[in-house]
Amino acid sequence: MVYADQHFATIAAFLGCVKSGHAYIPVDTHSPNTRLTQISEIARPAMTIATSELPINLPGQIMAADELGRLLATPETAAPNPATRANPVIGGENFYIIFTSGTTGQPKGVQISHDNLLSFVNWMNDDFDLPAKPRMLAQAPYSFDLSVMSLYPCLTAGGTLVVLPKDATSDLGALVRLLPDLRLNVWVSTPSFMAMCLLDPNFNAQSQPDLSHIFFCGEELTNQLAGKILARFPEAAMYNTYGPTETTVAVTSIRVDDELLSKYPRLPIGYAKSDTFIDYRPGSTHEEDGQIVGELSITGPGVSKGYLNRPDKTAAAFTDNGATRSYATGDLGVVNDDGLLFYRGRTDFQIKMNGFRIELEEVNHYLNAQPLLKQAVAVPRYNRDHQVKQLVAFAVPVEPVTDALNFTKTLRGQLSSAMMEYMVPQRFIYRDNLPLTPNDKVDVKALISEVNHNA
Amino acid sequence: MDTQTVVLNILEDLTGEDLTGHLDTELFDSALLDSMDTVQLVLELEEQLDVQIPVSEFNRDDWKTPQQIIDQVEKLK
Repeated sequence: MVYADQHFATIAAFLGCVKSGHAYIPVDTHSPNTRLTQISEIARPAMTIATSELPINLPGQIMAADELGRLLATPETAAPNPATRANPVIGGENFYIIFTSGTTGQPKGVQISHDNLLSFVNWMNDDFDLPAKPRMLAQAPYSFDLSVMSLYPCLTAGGTLVVLPKDATSDLGALVRLLPDLRLNVWVSTPSFMAMCLLDPNFNAQSQPDLSHIFFCGEELTNQLAGKILARFPEAAMYNTYGPTETTVAVTSIRVDDELLSKYPRLPIGYAKSDTFIDYRPGSTHEEDGQIVGELSITGPGVSKGYLNRPDKTAAAFTDNGATRSYATGDLGVVNDDGLLFYRGRTDFQIKMNGFRIELEEVNHYLNAQPLLKQAVAVPRYNRDHQVKQLVAFAVPVEPVTDALNFTKTLRGQLSSAMMEYMVPQRFIYRDNLPLTPNDKVDVKALISEVNHNA
Repeated sequence: MDTQTVVLNILEDLTGEDLTGHLDTELFDSALLDSMDTVQLVLELEEQLDVQIPVSEFNRDDWKTPQQIIDQVEKLK
C-alpha cells in the first residue's frame, strides 16, 4: 500500500513496488482513517509506504516518509541493490489495485495486471499520435484511476508529468495563476476540472500554444462544455473517453469536433479500442424511444481478474470466456450499428459526481450509522445536462433541529472522519419522517423528483 | 433584486441553506462550498449580476463569507 500524495516520491514508490514484484495500492493522503483501516483489512498489504506521515497505526511493515526520503537520496552506485534483482511484475500478475466505492461501506479492490495495463498504455501511445516526450497534466489523485491516463503513457513516452496537486486546485485564484506556466502538450482531466479552468478568459490557445491533445474521462462530457473548449482551443485534438476502473482506465474514445457537436446533442462516448469488444450483456436490453438500450458488457485484455479477496463480488460482475474475460459494467448504453457507443445512465444506484464514482448505498450506510440521525437517504440532484451536481441528504434527526446550520456543520464533521470527502452530501434537508412506498421502503423516487423539480 | 438577495439566492441554490441571518458564515471552512462549487458560483454571479470576476485575482480569503461575496460583487459593479 502506498499512502500517496502528488509528489515525486509517490511515483518512485509505485515503480519500486512493481520492479520488486509487488502490486501497489494507491491510497490518497486525503482519505479518512476508516478507509485506510478498511483497505488494510481487505488487502492485508505486506508493507505500507508512506509519502507523508500516516495518521494512524496500520498492521504490517511500515516505511515512513523520512526513511523513504533517505532511500531516494541514496546515490546510484555501481553495486546493484539486491531489491532490483527481484523479478518485476509481469504478465497476469497484479500491477496496481485501486479501491473503489462499495455498496455497504466495504470498498472493492480492482486488481489490474501488467497485461491489463499494457493493453491500455499501448492504445494511448499508438492511437492518438501523441507528441514525442509529451508534457502531460497530472491532476487527478492517484487513488482515482484517471491518474493512470497521464502516468504510464507519459513515462513510457519519456515525457514529463506536470503536476497540479489538490492544494493548488482548491483555490480558484491560485489555480488560474498557475495555468500560464504549465506549457502542456497533453491535457488529461475530468470535464468538471476543465470547466473550472475555463473561468479564466485567458486560458486559451494563445496562452497554451503547445497544447495539442485534450483527453476527458471520468464523467459525461456535455455538448455545451465541449463547444466552449473547442472555441478556446480550435486546433487541439479533443477526445471523449469512457471506461470503468475494472477494465483499466478507458476502453473507448472519439474525437470531438464541430461536426460531432452538431450531429449529437448528447455526445457519444466513442468506439471500443481495437483489442476490445463492447456489446449488451445478454438479457439486459429493452427498447426506449425506438432504440435498443442495454447494460454494456466489455470484453478484452483490459478486463481485470476481479476484486481482491472478494470472489462473490467478482463472480457477480465478471465472466470468464476462456481466452477472454467480460465485465458487466452496470452502465446503460446504446451500441450503434457501426459500434458507436452512447451512455444512458446506470442500472443501479451508482453515480458519478465531478468524476468520482459514488455508490449511493454506501453514502446511505454512513448516514444511517450516524448517532445524530434516526434515518437518512441521499439522492442526486442533476443539472440540465443530466450531470449530478449535488448529493442531497434527507435526514430524520434523533432530536429536533433548532439551528440547522450548526447541526449540519457538526454532522458533516463526523461524516468526514468516516467517509471520503467527495461522498459527503452537499445539502442536508431535515424532516420528521421520510416518504414511504406502498412496500414501506423509503420512496427514493419521490425525493429525487422533489430535488429535481422535473422528473 | 438587489445584490444581497441575488447572492443569497445563488448560495441557497448551491448549499441548500438560507444564509440570510448568517452573512458571516465561513462557506469553505464549514464545507458548505467546495472548490467545484466555486465554478458554479462565479458563473451564476457573472450571469445574474452582469459583472466580470477577475479570476486570476480571485483569492478565496476575500470570498469566504456571504457578506464578503456581496461586497466584492458591489465593488465590481
